[in-house]
Amino acid sequence: MLIDNPINSYELVFPILEIFHIAGFGVAIGATAAVDFRILGLLPVEQTPSELSKATSRWMLGGLLVAIFSGMELYTSDPDMYYLNWSFLIKMMCLIVVIVLNYTLHRKIVASNSTSGGAKAVACLSLALWASVIFGGIFIAFIRGGL
Amino acid sequence: MMQFAIWIENTEFFAYIRGSGYEFPVLLSLHLVGLAFFAGLILITDMRLLGWGLKGHSIATVVNATRWPKRIGFVWVAGCGFILGMSKAEGYFLNTFFQIKMMLFACVLIHALVFRPTVYNHPEELDKAPAIPGRAKLAAGLSLFLWLAILTMGRSIGYMGSPSGLHYSQLLKTILTLGRS
Repeated sequence: MLIDNPINSYELVFPILEIFHIAGFGVAIGATAAVDFRILGLLPVEQTPSELSKATSRWMLGGLLVAIFSGMELYTSDPDMYYLNWSFLIKMMCLIVVIVLNYTLHRKIVASNSTSGGAKAVACLSLALWASVIFGGIFIAFIRGGL
Repeated sequence: MMQFAIWIENTEFFAYIRGSGYEFPVLLSLHLVGLAFFAGLILITDMRLLGWGLKGHSIATVVNATRWPKRIGFVWVAGCGFILGMSKAEGYFLNTFFQIKMMLFACVLIHALVFRPTVYNHPEELDKAPAIPGRAKLAAGLSLFLWLAILTMGRSIGYMGSPSGLHYSQLLKTILTLGRS
């Protein structure tokens, strides 16, 4: 028996899911960016990177989970379009790399409160990857060509 | 208002942005990147005011340290938003979600006018109180609500076009033609 995907059956479901998706990313990226700005010396707070990370890590994880699960639901609305779209593939690649980076090297650097050149390079990489995730998401609607 | 919208979206710069291939999505992406980076700073300030995080640090240090980065973030987001908005001004001015978003921005300005004198400009006084004052928690709660609502309305803009079949520039041209004849 073929069951209709409710995301395609009710016109309000997709925009509502997309709002949760963007809000989730906004919170997750914002929380991480604050820590990265602190490492880069662009956020003149007296709190160390690890203190900032401790205060924002739950928000980061919560936002990321909301973004991922709402994103998975959005994907089911038109899987063919998404997996053949270059922009979507780049977004997914950047997302996987930045999540792995965040919970490995980035976490170690934050815990050590280092603001060395290497730490700053990782913070820049983290910001660039998160920005690429946003660019990738926006460009899905503007790139028609695919694999 | 609609005459202004039609005029501004047809100026050389905004017409170029509207008709460009990738400039519009690049600006849209920069608008959202700024919003995401800016959101973290708002989150940190509001969490401290609500007593949900950074409790080991004074409210004054958190509020004072994030003040200028937040202002820079606001200029970035508002600058990109202004260019995006004016490049399709006619359609946006008729869009209910855009109108609500602008009203929410007005609420953000009112929020700043109301709470800056008592909360944001004197955070040292909040630290002296035995517990975080209610007005500070109210300011933080409203701030979170307003920015999430702005984000929601911003995304919703794309789901509503101008009223079907009624294109105001065409209507205006018809009226002007009829007036001349």
